[in-house]
Amino acid sequence: MPRRIVVLLLSLILLAGLASAANLEDRVVEHRLANGLTLLLMERHQAPIVAVNLTYKVGGVYEHNGITGVAHLYEHMAFKGTRTIGVTDAEKEKPVLEELDRLAEAVMAEKLKGPAADQTRLAALRKRFTEVEAQAQQFVVPAELATLYQRNGGVGLNATTGKDVTRYFLSFPANRLPLWAAVESDRMANGVLREFYKEKKVVLEERRQSTDNSSNGRLHEAFAAAAFLAHPYGQPVIGWPSDLEALSRTQTEAFFQTYYGPVNAVLAVVGDIKPKEVIALVENTFGRIPARPPAPPVLTEEPPYSGERRVEVEFSAEPQLLIGYHKPSASHPDDDVFDVLESLLSEGRTSRLYKRLVQEKQLALNISAFSDYPGAQYPNLFVISAAPRAPHTTTEIEQAVYEELDRLKREPVSPHELQKILNQVDAAQVRALRSNSGMASRLAYFQAISEDWRETFKRRDRIAKVTPDDIRRVAAQYFTKSNRVVATLVKPEDGAGKDKP
Amino acid sequence: MTQDRLTLRLIVLLVCATLLAACTTLPPATGDPRAMKFDPVTFTIPEVERIVLENGIIVYLLPDLELPLVTVSAMIRTGAVYEPPEKVGLAALTGTVMRTGGTARMTGDQIDEELEFLAANVGVGIGSESGTASLDILKKDLGRGLVIFADMLRTPAFEPAKVELAKRQALEAIRRRPDSPAGIAGREFRKLLYGADHPLGRESTIETVSRITREDLVAFHRQYFTPSGLILGVTGDFEKPAMLDALRKVFGDWKPQPVTLPAIPPVTALPASGSSRSVNILSRDLTQTNLRVGHLSVKEDDPDFFALALLGDILGGNSFTSRLFRDVRSRQGLAYSVGSRLVPGNLGPGAFLLYALTKGSSTHQALASMLDHMERLRQEPVTDDELQFAKDAFLNSFVFSFADAGLIVGRLMALEYYGLPKDFLQRFRDSVVKLTKEDLLRVARKHLHPDRVVILAVGKDDDFEQPLSTFGQVRHLTLKPGG
Repeated sequence: MPRRIVVLLLSLILLAGLASAANLEDRVVEHRLANGLTLLLMERHQAPIVAVNLTYKVGGVYEHNGITGVAHLYEHMAFKGTRTIGVTDAEKEKPVLEELDRLAEAVMAEKLKGPAADQTRLAALRKRFTEVEAQAQQFVVPAELATLYQRNGGVGLNATTGKDVTRYFLSFPANRLPLWAAVESDRMANGVLREFYKEKKVVLEERRQSTDNSSNGRLHEAFAAAAFLAHPYGQPVIGWPSDLEALSRTQTEAFFQTYYGPVNAVLAVVGDIKPKEVIALVENTFGRIPARPPAPPVLTEEPPYSGERRVEVEFSAEPQLLIGYHKPSASHPDDDVFDVLESLLSEGRTSRLYKRLVQEKQLALNISAFSDYPGAQYPNLFVISAAPRAPHTTTEIEQAVYEELDRLKREPVSPHELQKILNQVDAAQVRALRSNSGMASRLAYFQAISEDWRETFKRRDRIAKVTPDDIRRVAAQYFTKSNRVVATLVKPEDGAGKDKP
Repeated sequence: MTQDRLTLRLIVLLVCATLLAACTTLPPATGDPRAMKFDPVTFTIPEVERIVLENGIIVYLLPDLELPLVTVSAMIRTGAVYEPPEKVGLAALTGTVMRTGGTARMTGDQIDEELEFLAANVGVGIGSESGTASLDILKKDLGRGLVIFADMLRTPAFEPAKVELAKRQALEAIRRRPDSPAGIAGREFRKLLYGADHPLGRESTIETVSRITREDLVAFHRQYFTPSGLILGVTGDFEKPAMLDALRKVFGDWKPQPVTLPAIPPVTALPASGSSRSVNILSRDLTQTNLRVGHLSVKEDDPDFFALALLGDILGGNSFTSRLFRDVRSRQGLAYSVGSRLVPGNLGPGAFLLYALTKGSSTHQALASMLDHMERLRQEPVTDDELQFAKDAFLNSFVFSFADAGLIVGRLMALEYYGLPKDFLQRFRDSVVKLTKEDLLRVARKHLHPDRVVILAVGKDDDFEQPLSTFGQVRHLTLKPGG
C-alpha cells in the first residue's frame, strides 16, 4: 500500500501542468510486434484500473452485396468463445456444427426454389435442424468469455462495428491484465462460431430495433444508399435482412480469417500499467499468433457524377431532413477544413446553423452538422441533419441551410470564430484524458484510420492553420447543388399506418 | 459438475497435444485463464472535505491535479414532482431558461458567446426529483466561469424571447413523442405504475405547457433556488482555501430563505397495488413489440435493497451473463435488448422492471419466459456458482465506483440530497459479502411478485402468436395526441 501512495504522489507531481499536446505525445509508448500487431500504451495511475481497446481495421465497408452485415455478425460471434472457452469439448462439437451448416444450406437451397420448393422436405429438414441445434447446444458453456471477464471485475465489456473499424473494449482492475491477454489473444487466434443461427435472429431483432421501427434509422439507411452508387459506404452495417438470412457460417468464418489477423489490429492499453510489463505480456500472448497476409483493401471507387439526388422515405413520424455533400477522405487536406466547418455550423448555441435556424427563424427543433459520414477512411459525406418545428417544413429548412452555406462562399469567417473553434479543439484534447477508455479509444482509432495515433495531435495543428480563404474555397467547391444528396422523412400519403413493402 | 468439466478439459488438452498443428496458436505461456488467481483489488478512497458556508450552502471539495480543469457541480432541492399539476413541464422549462435566458448582468447570447469562446461547458436542468447544474472549465478561466455560473443560479433574467423559444421547443418535442416506440413504452409504463396523475407518473402535455408563463418560471426559481437548498461539489485542479474564497465571493452574500417542499402523495395507482396482473396492450403498427414487466418496489433505505439489487444482477442486470440475456437472447434468439433492473426509489417507491424487444410473432413466448424467470427466483435458490459469480463481479468491479474524483463527489452529493448515509456504498459491499442463497430466496419471495405485475406490450397485437389474455385480463390503451 505505501508504495502505491508514493507512486501516486510522484505521478501527481509529474503530471501537474502536463497537458500540452507535446507532453501528451511523450506519454504514449508505441510497440510493434513481429506479426504486425500495433500496441499503444499510456500510463495513468489515478486508480488501479486499466482500459483496453482492440480495434480491427474491418467494418461494413469491406462487405459487398450478398454478405452485407457479416462484419457486425462476426462481432456478435466473437463473444461466443474459442476452442477452449465457451465449450465443453470443441473436438466433439465440430462435426455437430458442420452437420448444422449442411442442414442450413439444404434448407436455403430448397427455399430458393420458390413456389416449386418441396414443403415436406423443407419441414423435415427444419425438424432435423432443430434437433441438431439442440445437440450443438449441449456443448455450449453459456457466456463463458463474459463470465471470465466479469468475475474478475471487468466492466463495460462490449464491441461496436462501424463502416471502417470494429472495436472490442472493456475496463478491469489492472492486476487482471494476464487474464485479459490470455482470453483476448485466444479470441484473436481461435474464435469458434457457435450458436451462429440463433445469433442471426438476435441481429435481426437488433435491426428491427435500430432500423425497421426507427424513423431515424430508416432515413439514414435510405440516405446512404442514395448517396453512394458504387461504394460500399452505401450499404447498411447491420446488413440487409435477406443477406443476413442467407449468410453462411463458412462465409462468416472466411471473413474472420481474412480480416482478423494481427497486422490488421491496433491494441491500446491505458491506465495503471507499467509499459515494459505489458509489452512482455502482449509479446508472450498475442506475439505467438502467426502473422497473416494483410487484408485486401476496398477497390471500388465512387464514380464521379453530377446532379442532385433526392430520396423520400415514407414513415408515420414527424418530418426529418438529411442533406449531404460528397467530400474526400480523412487523408485529403480539405478534410481539416470540413472539421472546422462542422464546428462553425453546429457546435454550440453560437454556431451558425443553430443561431439562424433554431434561435432566430425558429424553423427547426434541432440541427447538427457532421463530417466523415458514414466513415472517414474513404471519400464520404459532410452531412446536415435537422428536424423542423411545426408548422415549418423541411423545404423551409433546406432553403435556410442553403442560404447559410452560400454566405460561407461570399463572406470570410471572422478570426474570432476561428479562434473559438481552436479553443474548443484544445479543451477537447485535455478533456479526452479524463477517462482511460476515452483515451484508449482515441489512440486506437487514429492509428487504425491513418496509421498514426499522433493524428489526434497533428489534426489540432492543421486546424490551427485553416484560413478564412480555405473555408470560402471549400464551401464554393463542395456545397453545390450538383454535389448534393437530400433525404426527407414524410408521412405516408394515406396518412395511416407505416410503409408496407 | 465441476469435476466433469475438469475432466473434459484434460481431454481437450490431450487431444491438442496430439494434434499440434491445431494448437500452435494457443498461448501456452499464460495458461488457462479460468485457473488464474489474483490478489484482491485494493485501493484507497480519497478523503473528501465537506464544508457548510455561512449561508447554508454545503460544499464538497476533492482536488485532482492531473489536468488543468475544474468542475463545479450543483444539486438543488427542487424537481418536477413539486410543480403544479396544471402546469406539468414548468420545472424543466425553468431549468432550460435559467441556462439560456441571461442573468442580471449579461444577456443569454452574451453568456453563450463568452462560455463557448472559453470552451467551457455549463448546464442547468431540473429533473423529476432534483435540480442539477454544472460548470466545467479550464483552470485559467475559472474566475469568469464562476461569476457566470453563480449568476445563473442566483439571478436568472428569463428573457421573454428565450422563454418563448423554450416553450415552442418543448411543444415540438411533445408532438414528436409518438415517433419513438421505446419512449411511448417508458412513459405509459410509468403512468401504469405510479398513476397518470401522480407526480412520478404524469407527463407534460400540449395543454399544460401552453399554460406556462414567464412569471411561472420566475416564481418557481424564486421558490426553490436558495442557499439552504444547494449542495456544491468541486473537483479538479485547485487548492482548497483559494476555492473556498472564490465560492464565498460569488455565493457568500446570497441570503438564505426557508423552502417548503410540497408533500408527495402516496402512490395509489390501481394496477400497482392490485392483487392480480394488469395486462396492457398499446397497439402500434410496428414489427417489434416493446415489452415492459414490473411492479413497485423498495426504496434504497430498505434493509432488503442490497439483496434485491444482487438478485436483479442475476436475473437481468449483468450484460451477457444474466439469466434473461443467456436464455431469452442467446439460447432462444428472441431479443437483442433484454434485461431487468431495480430502479431505486428516492422520494417515492422504487420499481423492479424487466424489459425485452421482440418481433410481433414471439411476443407471447418472450413474455412467458420473462415471467418464468421471475417466478423461478421465488421457487428455487440460485446456484452456488451464480451467487459466487454475482458477488465476485460486484466486489471485483467495486473499484470503478471510485475511478475518478467526479464520481466520488457526485455520489456524496446525491447521498446527502436523498438523506442516505455517506458510506452507503461501503455498506452495500459489506452486505453483499454476507449474502447467502437463502437470503436471496427469502427476498425474492418477499419482493418479487410475478402474479401481480404490470405488463405493457407496445406493438402490433394482430401479429402476436398467442393472445396475451393467457397472462390476465387484457386492457387496450390508446395513445393520446402527444402521448
